[in-house]
Amino acid sequence: MQNVYLAATAATPEVDFRFDTHSLSLKGESYPENAQAFYGPLLEMTARYLAGLDHARIVVDVQLAYFNSSSTKLLMSLFELFNDAAVKGNYVTLNWHYDEDDDTILEFGEEIADDYPALDFVAHALVA
Amino acid sequence: MPLDTPEPRAAAHVAGDLLQSPPTVSPAHSNYQVLELFSADASLSNLPVVDDKRPVGIINRNTFMSTIARPFHREIFGRKPCTAFMNAAPLVVDYHTPLTELSFQALSAGESVLSDGFLVTVDGDYAGLGQGVSLMQALADQQAEKHRQMMDSIHYASVIQQSFLQSSRRDMAAALTDYFMAWEPRDVVGGDYYYFVRRDDGFFVAVIDCTGHGVPGAFMTLIMASALKQVLTTRDLHDPAALLGAINRQVKESLGQLSRDELEHDDNVEIRSDDGMDCAFCWYDKATRTLTYAGAKTPIFVIEPGSDEVAVHDGNKKGVGYVSTPLDYQWENRRVTLAPGAQLYISTDGIIDQIGGPKRICFGKKRFKEALLKYRQQPMTEQRGRLLDVFHAWQGENARRDDVSLFGVRLP
Repeated sequence: MQNVYLAATAATPEVDFRFDTHSLSLKGESYPENAQAFYGPLLEMTARYLAGLDHARIVVDVQLAYFNSSSTKLLMSLFELFNDAAVKGNYVTLNWHYDEDDDTILEFGEEIADDYPALDFVAHALVA
Repeated sequence: MPLDTPEPRAAAHVAGDLLQSPPTVSPAHSNYQVLELFSADASLSNLPVVDDKRPVGIINRNTFMSTIARPFHREIFGRKPCTAFMNAAPLVVDYHTPLTELSFQALSAGESVLSDGFLVTVDGDYAGLGQGVSLMQALADQQAEKHRQMMDSIHYASVIQQSFLQSSRRDMAAALTDYFMAWEPRDVVGGDYYYFVRRDDGFFVAVIDCTGHGVPGAFMTLIMASALKQVLTTRDLHDPAALLGAINRQVKESLGQLSRDELEHDDNVEIRSDDGMDCAFCWYDKATRTLTYAGAKTPIFVIEPGSDEVAVHDGNKKGVGYVSTPLDYQWENRRVTLAPGAQLYISTDGIIDQIGGPKRICFGKKRFKEALLKYRQQPMTEQRGRLLDVFHAWQGENARRDDVSLFGVRLP
């Protein structure tokens, strides 16, 4: 499985999916004009990657300051893939990084933790 | 000899539209003769070299003048052929080369095109010279024209979208006295929408955030408006939760946004949409002073008279119409009694999610509530200005991320 690296743009996050070390990260903001076009290929790759795993320890780091509603839906699909992988016997940690003063992003993370209970959700406050 | 004609400002489409007819020289001309031509006409920047009808090169004024001015160059090269200092490999393009293709060719030819220009031919014969600056001008004009056409079209779309809001505006003004409705699409048109109906026994208000913004967002508002209208033919306004449920079904079926289990047979549809809306639907009953609220990922904010707190009432966590929302999903009605002077605010996520402030983070509910409390004593129209000022100050230099809608009312 080829690793994926996409540099951040104003409207898309940095994507650093190191499938070989089971460490995946998203960082920045997400409000592309066509979220499906941006996330579709990533979802497909992640699904293929996860399909071949069993009892793996996967670490996902997410540090997003903003994502629009269409990105949200696709991010949820991504977390659902991880949750399914965790249900199937993998161990998935979701490190959720948020600014200490950003209650919106923290609340969003907590919703993910509620919706996808198989993930080992860890909230990390970024202190300035 | 003809002088450089002013470059044409009528829309240029092909290389030939940029054509100028400066004087030309043949390879047999001497550098002295070239010097004379440049000295005689200060506006002559590039001199095409043409052998019979064959384009040979371009002599650039600045290159030529600075070279010939070197010690002894005039004496040594003066009588020699003018090909000595010419760009012998200029860009040569056919008259009918489209501008876009010309610009790509110019880019790959390198910087020289900008200073020296390019030669234009008809059937291989020299026809004229195009200047680099004319090409840039034509591309800028083309860009501006495309932008103008697009914006004209979006501005007209905005007229249509706003006319859809007219009856709501009218009813709002007739039913309420102390209120405001701020509606600011990010891109002239947008995915935010509101709906207001005045009845004898109360009023119905909906604040809606359809997926997306700009043109696709505006499309969605029209789909949602028509779904709402359709649903209201068979249901009344007093049960907001039932309305959400009915719209959900209607939208999922009309856009084919069904989950795998809900699809009756396996449609091999390649492109499937997953669009819908987050919203707050409220019915206010005058006689009992009861607000019946059903929300799809959109809270409402209430300040009771004399209170120092903003009460947040959350709706359900499912959006309306999306693939992941079940076809038979049922929203819940929540009832809030509002005392005289109570204030109600409904906002889409555009305000709360806006990036800004010193740390470039979301505005957030906490700061939003603080702002509501700070200005709660003011008349509603005054509050509108204050709240938007706080919001714009938070946004600062950051780009607007989403459409913004904010409704506020103080009940008599």
